[in-house]
Amino acid sequence: MEGGASISRTEAAQRAQKDASRKRRSWTVIRHAVLIGWASLIMFPIYWMIQTSFKDSGEWVTWPPNWIPEDPTLKNYEQIFSFNVQESGVARQATEQPFNIWGALLDSIIICTSSALIALFMGTFLAYAISRYNVGGKRFRHSVLLIRMIPPIVIAIPLLMYYAIMVPLATDAVLGVRLSLFDTRLGLSLLYITITLPFVIWMMLSFIDEIPYSFEYAARIMGAGRIYTIRKVVLPLVASGMVVTFLFVFILNWAEFLLALTLTHPDVTTLPVLLNKFQSASEGRLYGPQAAIGTIITIPVVIMGILIQKHLIKGFSFGTIRK
Amino acid sequence: MLAEIGLKNIVKEFGKFVAVKGISLDIQDGEFLILVGPSGCGKTTTLNMISGLETPTSGEIIIDNRIVNDIEPGERGLGMVFQDLALFPHMTVYENIAFGLRVRKMREQEIEEKIRLAADAMHILPLLSKRPAQCSGGEAQRVALARTIVNNPSVFLMDEPLSSLDAKLRVDMRTELKGLHERLKATFVYVTHDQAEAMTMADRIVVMNGGLIEQVGGPLDIYDHPSSHFVAGFFGAPTMNFLNGEIVVENGTAIFRCPHIGQPLGTSAAEQLIGENVILGVRSEHIIMKEGSQEGQVRLVEPLGDSSLVFFEYGGKDKLVAKVAPELRFSPGDHVTFEFQADKCHLFSRKDGHRIN
Repeated sequence: MEGGASISRTEAAQRAQKDASRKRRSWTVIRHAVLIGWASLIMFPIYWMIQTSFKDSGEWVTWPPNWIPEDPTLKNYEQIFSFNVQESGVARQATEQPFNIWGALLDSIIICTSSALIALFMGTFLAYAISRYNVGGKRFRHSVLLIRMIPPIVIAIPLLMYYAIMVPLATDAVLGVRLSLFDTRLGLSLLYITITLPFVIWMMLSFIDEIPYSFEYAARIMGAGRIYTIRKVVLPLVASGMVVTFLFVFILNWAEFLLALTLTHPDVTTLPVLLNKFQSASEGRLYGPQAAIGTIITIPVVIMGILIQKHLIKGFSFGTIRK
Repeated sequence: MLAEIGLKNIVKEFGKFVAVKGISLDIQDGEFLILVGPSGCGKTTTLNMISGLETPTSGEIIIDNRIVNDIEPGERGLGMVFQDLALFPHMTVYENIAFGLRVRKMREQEIEEKIRLAADAMHILPLLSKRPAQCSGGEAQRVALARTIVNNPSVFLMDEPLSSLDAKLRVDMRTELKGLHERLKATFVYVTHDQAEAMTMADRIVVMNGGLIEQVGGPLDIYDHPSSHFVAGFFGAPTMNFLNGEIVVENGTAIFRCPHIGQPLGTSAAEQLIGENVILGVRSEHIIMKEGSQEGQVRLVEPLGDSSLVFFEYGGKDKLVAKVAPELRFSPGDHVTFEFQADKCHLFSRKDGHRIN
């Protein structure tokens, strides 16, 4: 009798264990299914862009769609890279507007890199001042992002006014030379620095706030000055955060379209603006070349991501000091 | 360099909050002085003002006969160990110790020599190439000390440096710190909220409460003659027993009287206090649990090995605790008689908490 009871007890325990492990397994399956579904939703546009870039014009908008290019071609890439600078300075083939992809690539790289670096440098020190000295008062850190509440389109036209008319008039009056910010790398960079600075401050604040005051106190008591302390203690500790912030701001600039479209033409062209040029009255949107440019725009960001992977993981976990 | 420190009427305000309300203190050269008090009593703020990390709102800080109020922390000749140790996580132990020497632009060879010496003294030679995160609590502690020692300061400031260690290590480190003080013969100013730490290490203890100094004195001085109700309650474990009552005259002698207890007071001074409302304090080891005139009932016994704590009721609303020899066995429910050692009773004013006997 007793033995029978104990056997049934162990059976019950085993059954309960089995149930539990089955439950756990089904939960794992559901979780992975959701994650895979979500990941495909996110990845699909990238896949679509890349495969479209290898399709010929007839295949761009077929119905039902071709999930893989039937007859893969490099035509789109040829089209966007084929021009002869010697001949006309710009190519004028598929589109009705002149374009120069190497020029656009160079413009984008110079403008985005320099403005992201400058914003990062300024923002880091501003964030340090806000974190350690409460610059701007207690609420300032929360209102830093307010500037982003204004949609860029609202300021695009007034800025055009400044860039194309007011600045030249002002420099003419003061220096006797007409200097314009319109359609210059400097003009666009200044603007990018201004609009990304709040992000840099906001992100760097969270990294700098994490560093205990005692680190800086210890350095000061050992005789280190403020700048020495920042250089040797604070900056190395937020390096990962700076890398992440740089990448974040760089991507914002890299993909910025509206302000670049409004404030440049024809000398300076960034890649997103160039992409938009691939449409014509006769053929409509040229999806193939656009996808090809899109793919090219994506590559540097991916490469950068791979190069700084170590910092990304560290930085995104917002744990610079964690032991 | 003499490492005498003087504080003169130091006040520190943070906006409307007054952290330190005017304290004066002289710290002798080579002394191990401990600032102790509950959290928020102003002890850390005081230490930070000595170090220069905080500037006093008013008053003067004098180190080596020089007013240092406006002198940068790095130029005061101090070393400091922080509560969280503040070891730089991105540097190796070696680089951490070298930090102060690098600031002073010392030659690399000299730096290495000094680090070897300091690391040897603190027994951390094998750790030099490790990161602070790879060190255990005790090792990190030694690294922090080595980093301070290597700069050869004449004053060591320590802000609860042992608080992150486990109990056993903390006790070991106390001994080690005391040994270090003997060896270096430097002035140590140490902040803690742990009265046991203060008792065991200090030459002199400064008890702070509410931004003011309550009492300054040697450890046993403070233990035996607490100047106030607060100090009496802060030092000693278990906490001193307190009873509210009145001094009356019975049969020609002064007696402390409260409901259920009448305690004769040995001191003649008590006679001047007749009719006063007082708090009587008596430490657990000064309650005699045999053949006393008062009666009580045991509620709880905590054997400590070398002694036992007996918590008992006497009729009043609080329990009393007595520390008795381990051979005396009591069980909960036992009826006991007890008595206070008359000459070990402390009397405090009920108005302001000051000692009155």
